[in-house]
Amino acid sequence: MISSIVLTTGLFLILIGLWGMLTHRNILRIIIGFSLMGTGTHIVIVAIGYVTNGTAPIIDQALSLSEAASRAVDPIPSALAVTAIVIGMAVTAVMLAYAIRLYESSKTLSIDAFTESKW
Amino acid sequence: MIRRLSIIVAIVSFGLALASIVIGYTEQQAPRPLAKSYIRLVPQELGAPNVITGILLTYRAFDTLGEVAVLFMVAVSAGLVLGRERLPRNGPLADRVDEVRPSSEIVQTGTQVLVPLISIFAAYIIMNGHLTAGGGFQGGAVIASGVLLMLLAYPHYQPDPEFLSITESVAGALFILVGLAGLIAAGGFLDNRILPLGQFGAFFSAGAIPVLSALLGIKVGCELSVLLERFRP
Amino acid sequence: MTELIGSVLVLLGAIFHFSAGLGMLRMPDVYTRMQAGTKASTLGNTLVLAGLAMHHPGWSLKLLIIVYFVLMTNPVSSHALARAAHRIRIPMAGDTAIDALRDARPEAGSGT
Repeated sequence: MISSIVLTTGLFLILIGLWGMLTHRNILRIIIGFSLMGTGTHIVIVAIGYVTNGTAPIIDQALSLSEAASRAVDPIPSALAVTAIVIGMAVTAVMLAYAIRLYESSKTLSIDAFTESKW
Repeated sequence: MIRRLSIIVAIVSFGLALASIVIGYTEQQAPRPLAKSYIRLVPQELGAPNVITGILLTYRAFDTLGEVAVLFMVAVSAGLVLGRERLPRNGPLADRVDEVRPSSEIVQTGTQVLVPLISIFAAYIIMNGHLTAGGGFQGGAVIASGVLLMLLAYPHYQPDPEFLSITESVAGALFILVGLAGLIAAGGFLDNRILPLGQFGAFFSAGAIPVLSALLGIKVGCELSVLLERFRP
Repeated sequence: MTELIGSVLVLLGAIFHFSAGLGMLRMPDVYTRMQAGTKASTLGNTLVLAGLAMHHPGWSLKLLIIVYFVLMTNPVSSHALARAAHRIRIPMAGDTAIDALRDARPEAGSGT
C-alpha cells in the first residue's frame, strides 16, 4: 500500500517532467524538466525495493542481526539510487554549462533561436 | 496545433505504459534471494553494520569506481566548455556587469556561523559511513555545498585550483592503490579485509571501508568544488 | 492525546506549505513570490517538526537542532536572492510605491 503510493508519485513526477520538457521553449525550464524526470526515476527505483513492514537495512538497536534477513528492505535498489543521484547531478551540471554557452552565443534563452542546421 | 496534439499523444501513451507498471505491482513479502544473501553476508564477512555501504564499497565497488570516472569526465568537460573568457563586454548585458561587490552583512554573518557546522557535518557523514547512513559520496557533496556558500558570500574567495586538483588526483590514486593492496593481501580487488575487521559496530571496524570512504569523500568534494569554481563569471 | 496535538500540528504545517506553493504561483512579481515562498515554508517546516516531536519525545533535541538550521539558512538564502534580483533591476509589480533599497543608497546610483 505504502509503496504503491510512492511508486505512483514517482511515475507522476516522470510524466510531469516529460510534459515540461516538451512544452516549454526556455532552455532553463527544459533542464528543470530533465531534473524532475531524474528525481521521479530515483523515487521509482527505491519504491520497488520495499518489503512489507520492513525497515532500513542498517543493523543497530532497531534491527538486530537475527531478524535482519526477514525484515530488512532490499538494499540493492538503494545502492543503485545513490549512484544514480550523483550521476544525475553531474549531467545537470554539464547541461547548465551548455546553456551558458548557448546564451552567450545568441543572447537569448529560447530554443527557437537555434533552428539552423549545420549543413 | 499539430505540435500540441503530438505532445498530448506522447504524454498519454507514456502515461498508459507507466500505468501498466502500477497495476501489475504487488509488494514483496520477503526480500529476494540475492538481497537476503547480501543482508546476511555484509555483517558476517565484512563486519559493517550498514549493508548499503558494504555493497557499494566492496561487492559492487567497480560501479563506484565507474561513477568516480564519470565525475572526473564531467569536471573536465565543464572546464572545457566554460574555460575561456566569457564576460560580455559589449551587448545588452554590459551595463549589468560591474566590478565585484561584497555581499551583504546578513549573508556574511550567516556564512561565518554555517561553514564550520557544514564542515563538521561533512566529516561526520564520511567517517560514519559504515555505521549509519552516509558514505563517501554524500559527504563529498556536503563539502562542496560548504565551498559553494564561501564562493557566494565572499566574491574574492579563490580556492587554489592547483591544490584542489593535486589533492583530487592523490586521493584517486590512493583509492586504486588500496584496491590493489586488496588484490595482493586479501581476496580480490577492493576487498576490505586488508585491515583487521575489529569489533562489530565500533568506530574503527569494517576493515578498509572507512579509509575508502574518506578517500572517496575527499575526491568527490574537491571535484565538485572545481566544477563550481568553473561556473563563476 | 499528545499524538492528536502532534497530528494537528503536522496538518497545520502542511496547510502552510500548500499556501506557500499557491503564493508562489499567484503572486505578481519576483519579490512578492520570494516573500510568500520563504516565510510560509519556513513556518510550515517548524510546525511539522514540532508535531513530529510530539509523536516521538525522544527525538526532541535533534528536531530542535534541525529547526535551528532551517531558521539559519532559509531567510539568509532568500535575502541573498532578493538583493541579487534587485541588483540586476528586475522590475517590481505595478502597484509598488516604495523602493527602500534604492532610496537607501542614492549615492551609488540606482539598482545597487
